[in-house]
Amino acid sequence: MELKAGSRWRSAVCDTEVVVVRAPSGSPSLECGGAEMVPHDAEKPAGAQLDPAHSDGTQMGKRFADPDSGIEVLATKGGAGSLSLDGKALPLKDAKPLPSSD
Amino acid sequence: MDQVLAGVRVVEVATWTFVPAAGAVLADWGAEVIKVEHPVTGDPQRGLMTSGLMGGGGGIPNFMMEQPNRGKRSIGIDIRSEEGLKLLYKLVESADVFLTSFLPAARASMKIDVDDLRKVNPNIIYVRGSGNGQRGPESERGGYDGATYFARGGHALALTPGELEYPIGPRAAYGDLPGGMTIAGGIAAALFRRERHGVASVVDISLLSCAMWTLSPDVMASKIFDLPKLPTGGNREMNPNPLVGSYKTKDGRFLMLCMLESDRFWPDLCRQIGHPELIDDPRFKDHASRGENKTDCIRALDAAFAERTFDEWKEELADAEGVWSPYQLPIELHQDPQVLANGYLREVESDQGPCTVVANPVQFDETPPDLERAPQHGEHTETLLLELGYDWDDIIRLKDAGAIL
Repeated sequence: MELKAGSRWRSAVCDTEVVVVRAPSGSPSLECGGAEMVPHDAEKPAGAQLDPAHSDGTQMGKRFADPDSGIEVLATKGGAGSLSLDGKALPLKDAKPLPSSD
Repeated sequence: MDQVLAGVRVVEVATWTFVPAAGAVLADWGAEVIKVEHPVTGDPQRGLMTSGLMGGGGGIPNFMMEQPNRGKRSIGIDIRSEEGLKLLYKLVESADVFLTSFLPAARASMKIDVDDLRKVNPNIIYVRGSGNGQRGPESERGGYDGATYFARGGHALALTPGELEYPIGPRAAYGDLPGGMTIAGGIAAALFRRERHGVASVVDISLLSCAMWTLSPDVMASKIFDLPKLPTGGNREMNPNPLVGSYKTKDGRFLMLCMLESDRFWPDLCRQIGHPELIDDPRFKDHASRGENKTDCIRALDAAFAERTFDEWKEELADAEGVWSPYQLPIELHQDPQVLANGYLREVESDQGPCTVVANPVQFDETPPDLERAPQHGEHTETLLLELGYDWDDIIRLKDAGAIL
């Protein structure tokens, strides 16, 4: 799979959709719910199942980034599967505000 | 039909609740609001614990993000970087309103002050929400509503009963939210002026000024009557009209009577509470008599209201002529028939599931607004850049330069 910046992908096993906002080095496999994601305009393959080990869910609007490969993706649609790169969970990239309370 | 502010574009460089709440109101009214956040830290509100409560994970919506940020798009820009500032200017070129909570020195050092932005867009309406105002010795000092609106603005001491050792505290965003609404009103007037007369305004609202407006009868009367501390509201024994005040129900809840012109409402009230014999009681025959015999009158009403429960009274008094209200808990507003009938609560689909937000209080054309959730940190960075004409190579270059998220 060619994970170019701007390319859009959908989960093979759930509703998750992502856009790649920074391409990785090398050519890793981007998975969701344990199965390799498919191009946004492609049909979902029949019979693919959500892997319980990758089922923490993906939330719309969140970013995920892997500092090793440099990939960053943005979830444009949420789903039950969680994202991974070559089988390794893709870490959430979230805002880092200082802790505060009133 | 288009919403009232359809086609108006707002760029918001602001944090916490006060000024962002203005953006939320404008978004409710149909404006396109772009929230600019720091690419690493984001709006510090994202990390705020309020009254010991915090959402944003585990299926619990971050209510303090949703309420003042619903309906916006978020872009992560480091305005302090050269490329980031250029990008902000590009956004400003396309905007009608610039909305900020930053202090004067910060605006100047970041090159986002009035003159800086007017060079880029001479017609932009420049809006500053501050703690203490733009002039005076404390114009460079920040403000929060707890300190500036509630404490400095006189509310805390006006509301605290004398017997308490410490002043009472405000509720979350107690001054920020009416303040944000006020900013939105100012912006609407400025948009009209620009449309009608071609003049772009600088609009200023401070938490201090909002607090004083809300408390203006106390501010005025305390000076006129030379009273440092005005009587605390709700003191039943001080009140000359027993038809205004709180009464306890059989189950320990409270009702608020607010029948100012008491002669109009006394006979009906007596019948409503099942004590018509009070109508002709000479002690209570008119407003003045009830005032003279207020202790007796309050006792009689106390006894009557203690005969039924809160729910029974709500039914019993449904057709009362005078104004009264149940004292409701915030959670009870979710089932209040008037709230439901008027669409004052709206649901958005947040990242943590459904979240009920409160609509802004203005309704146009009898239509409650359809609202969208608050954006994630910098969620729309790439989308907005693409809309502005940047391509993916530019985006990657800006990311590498640290100018954007």
